[in-house]
Amino acid sequence: MSTGQTILEIKGLNKYFGPTHANKNIDFTLKTGEIHGLIGENGSGKSTLISQIAGLYGHDSGEMILKGQHYDPQSPIDANDHKISMVMQELGVVGTLPAGMNVFLGRTDKFTKFGIINKKQLNREAQAIFEKWDLPRVPMNKLTDGMMIETRKMIELARALSVDPDILILDEITQSLSLNNRRKLVDLINKLKEDGKSIIVITHDVEELIEITDTITVLRDGAVVGNVMSAETTPDEIKQMMVGRAMEGGYYREDMVPEYGDEVVLSVKNVTVKGEIEDISFDLHKGEILGFCGLSDSGIHSIGKAVYGLSKLQKGTIHLNEKNADIKSAPQALRSNMGYVPKDRDNEALMIHASIRDNFVLPSLTELQGPIAFLSPAKLSRLASETSKQLSVKMTGIGQPMDALSGGNKQKVNFGRWLAKDLKVLVLDCPTRGVDVGVKAYIYSLMKQAKKDGISIVLISDELTEILGMSDRLFVMKDGKITKEIRRDEDFTEQSVIGVMI
Amino acid sequence: MMKNRFKAADIIPFISFVAIFVFFTIASKGAMLSAFNLSIILDQSMITIIVGCGVLFVIAQGSTDMTIGVNLGLSGVLAVHVGLAIGHPWAMLPLACIFGLIVGIINGFLVAKCKVPSFMLSIAELIGIRGLINYIQTVISAEYITNEMRVLNTSAVKIPMFIAIVVIMIYIFEFTKIGRYSRAIGENETTARFVGVPVDLMKITAFALSGLCAGYASILAVAQINGTNMQMGVFLEMKTVMAIFFGGVLVTGGASAKIYKVFLGALSIQIIINGLGLIGKSATQIQQSVEGVLLLLVLFITMMASRGRKIKPKEIEEEEKAAVQG
Amino acid sequence: MSNEKTSDLTIELKKERAGQIKFAIGFVVVFFALLVLFHVITGGQFLSGDKITVVLLHSIWPTFAAWALCFIFASGYTDLSLGGIMVLGSVSACIFGNWYGYIGVVLGGLIVGLVLTFINFNIFAFTKIPSWIASIILALIYEAIAFGMKMGASTKSLVDTELNRDYRLLGKLPWSFIIMLVCLVIVYYIYNRTTVGTNIRAIGGNADVSKALGINITKTLLGIGVISGILVGIACFMQESYAGRVTVKTGLTSINMILQPMAIYLLAKVLEKKMNIIIAVPFCSFIIYAVFNVLSSLGVPSGTLQESVLGLFIVVFGVIGQMGVKGVVK
Repeated sequence: MSTGQTILEIKGLNKYFGPTHANKNIDFTLKTGEIHGLIGENGSGKSTLISQIAGLYGHDSGEMILKGQHYDPQSPIDANDHKISMVMQELGVVGTLPAGMNVFLGRTDKFTKFGIINKKQLNREAQAIFEKWDLPRVPMNKLTDGMMIETRKMIELARALSVDPDILILDEITQSLSLNNRRKLVDLINKLKEDGKSIIVITHDVEELIEITDTITVLRDGAVVGNVMSAETTPDEIKQMMVGRAMEGGYYREDMVPEYGDEVVLSVKNVTVKGEIEDISFDLHKGEILGFCGLSDSGIHSIGKAVYGLSKLQKGTIHLNEKNADIKSAPQALRSNMGYVPKDRDNEALMIHASIRDNFVLPSLTELQGPIAFLSPAKLSRLASETSKQLSVKMTGIGQPMDALSGGNKQKVNFGRWLAKDLKVLVLDCPTRGVDVGVKAYIYSLMKQAKKDGISIVLISDELTEILGMSDRLFVMKDGKITKEIRRDEDFTEQSVIGVMI
Repeated sequence: MMKNRFKAADIIPFISFVAIFVFFTIASKGAMLSAFNLSIILDQSMITIIVGCGVLFVIAQGSTDMTIGVNLGLSGVLAVHVGLAIGHPWAMLPLACIFGLIVGIINGFLVAKCKVPSFMLSIAELIGIRGLINYIQTVISAEYITNEMRVLNTSAVKIPMFIAIVVIMIYIFEFTKIGRYSRAIGENETTARFVGVPVDLMKITAFALSGLCAGYASILAVAQINGTNMQMGVFLEMKTVMAIFFGGVLVTGGASAKIYKVFLGALSIQIIINGLGLIGKSATQIQQSVEGVLLLLVLFITMMASRGRKIKPKEIEEEEKAAVQG
Repeated sequence: MSNEKTSDLTIELKKERAGQIKFAIGFVVVFFALLVLFHVITGGQFLSGDKITVVLLHSIWPTFAAWALCFIFASGYTDLSLGGIMVLGSVSACIFGNWYGYIGVVLGGLIVGLVLTFINFNIFAFTKIPSWIASIILALIYEAIAFGMKMGASTKSLVDTELNRDYRLLGKLPWSFIIMLVCLVIVYYIYNRTTVGTNIRAIGGNADVSKALGINITKTLLGIGVISGILVGIACFMQESYAGRVTVKTGLTSINMILQPMAIYLLAKVLEKKMNIIIAVPFCSFIIYAVFNVLSSLGVPSGTLQESVLGLFIVVFGVIGQMGVKGVVK
């Protein structure tokens, strides 16, 4: 196959998820022998785009043309038949099946004779794929339950490679790999390129993307905002495109001095959670925004859970000075005027089928109790309607079910319900994930206000700009440990962070 | 539009209640409507409603408790036996409640802490505890309550007893944290845990309340038959759980759980049983299959209705615009 | 490089095999130790040819039902109406057996078991009502049908007649044991080595991944209906051949009939990490019936306290099986 021809062309693609317009008139061209990067903030629509290419979702309007022919995959298997395969960010393997079986799951028929799967042949072929692409060795007969994330990712990669794809899509695969395997992956990508195959790569890491790709397409709020040659661009240019102009001017904090009280509100000492974080210690001061950044599996998200009492601590204490008590459970954290906004809004934070009112009052029920534990419905409604008016949540009424709201409005409820309380500590895990720029700015203004009111905030985010923009101090994490602490008035730049992050 | 979705699911139980009522009124040529018959229906729904109010907490959490029938049997049998053995027959009243509560707490502990799926536990106890009841009844003996205690089976005592427990349960379910937390757990257990709801404690509490109600109801059951027998509570768990689903509570629990639905469902089921009797079709097989088919239908329809139509993006956008302008 | 890899692989395989053999030896030792223990507890009554035969015979039909449960539970579904189906299937095996001999016994049980289980899984797949609740309701309906037949003027005598003694060979040794051994091999291969078996385990393990990899969930569910249906059907005629009759049950007591298979399944599940569950099932079945036999010898009344013991078993195995499970359990 010669390189440089157009293999896949996408014209005017649109996709809706309920109220969100996830892809807006996307145009996209992929050539043979091209490594094409896709980048954009969370919720910018890149995952949606590749999911349509890989046959996971259908599109609502627009057209895809593959090798000159109309292409509308009905399923991932259909896409595989068209020689397109993908390693998905949040999918994984079936734990109850052995590794070899996972590689060919859904396609076991080709190993079947008289109805019986030839396991030896299946394992041999799976092994052959691992050897061909020089992937680390995996025991083929072992159940994947209990294997490391990295090994599981390799099985997924082998699965994608097993269809001998012309187009391979890699969605956020590098962040769960060790340095060694990352290099192997880059070699693999280049080998595919030499064979005239096309690769679409998604990663959050701008530098890495520029290094390994030929072309980069930037998405923002569901639309393509730029298309550049990797050799001719800079990380700054890409980032500018990613965040857009709205970024500048009052979006983040403008001051460059850390500003918080001397009083230590919460002190975390030597906290270890098995398999997640190790020997974490820090002090959180009154009115401080303390940032945690790192790759997704660096343990930053575990910090939030541990601080709010949701993890079983193997070692260490989380001490709340005001109550002079160690936080040991989430109910205790809730009682002690702490709040927690988890990362996964729809699955961890909200009851999406319940009403806005029910979602609003959930953390405040104890405070709303009258004599003999009475909860007055009128009081609950008043709290919900007053706060949602303050936050200008777009809704028809507080009785409306949560899933009718857009992502941004959901997040307003998710965030705002904590501000209705008399909080001392607020833990935020990716608070602006999947919301549009307007709501984002609004959430930052709420954070600034909360800081002014003396609330101490633990801010966890995989968006570096956000951490740099908002925190007084930040901790960089890697492999479950804190590797660096930087104050706002020190070397508070992306370069200094990225150096220790990866 | 989304509001309608909820209404559709909520209105089906009312429609089926009315349809059943009208059908049997016509089929029984009006015999259904006699004051005597209506009072029988109410009288016979009492135990189902009491027990149902307790189980509702568990179902609201998305679990199930089908041990209430055997719990009622065991609590009643044990309470009467122990009461007579210690020479204070009246002691059975508190004893029944205590025994019911203990069984409930054990169940809650096994589900919340040992993570035994609740339906599996229910099935195991359905046979295990029934075996124990049969053992006590056959090996030791069936017992009778004293003559003075028969006052428990008069309306003057029964009705206040019924109202008292039901009012307490309505209060706890609709107007306290326990009820709200239970529904939150049913909506999304992870969310509840992440907000800081004491999920395990709430699960144990729900099973405890369910057990308490079963124990309390066993007093009425004992009074009805003047003592204990092996048939106590047989099929009650099914009747109660069916009543709750019939009333429009979703199997997944959550915000769909409401106390009024227990009343609605319990009365619907009792009208079916009563109506089939009035038109001379009271045989077990007919009753069971009618209940089974109707319940499958109602479950199916409520699930479909609550899942709702597919959301069209345009409508939502317009709705949002309207909301902003309004 | 590649040489090194292959040798690594063989070493690993050898290690794995050595581990399996070790466990198998250990298991056999424990198994016989248990039998000796039973022998001692019962005061030297257990280890006799008669007792062993009785236990073995009794343990065979529940083995088939437990295998059916293996497929059903592996997919993440539940079917509590199997008891109701088994009553109907056994009745059918009896009626047709008395009319047409062995062909009637086998087909009578098999067809009823298969058709009804298949209907169940259609209902699970298309109504999306959670299977445990839907299957309880279906149990009600199946019980009602059986009870209706028992009460019906024209069908009463058919239900009450026992299976002709000439047609009960399938319930006797060595035939029942041979059938079980043959089925063990077939079921093992279906569960572990066929596409449908793999897909069933896949949807139970991770439904999202399975769907994304093109496994048709509905088709797989119907596949479970067919496989477990056949196993339930076999259990029906084996039960009828063994006992010669079946008691018609109402008020959901038909569920009692699959409680013993469920206890067997749960025990096998506990052993699953070290031993293939399909192979573990017949052993577990034997152990559980041996325990009941011992209880009877010790004078524990059957039908009352023995049922309590059974309930306790299920809870205990359930607790052990769930150890270390994280996440939401309803």
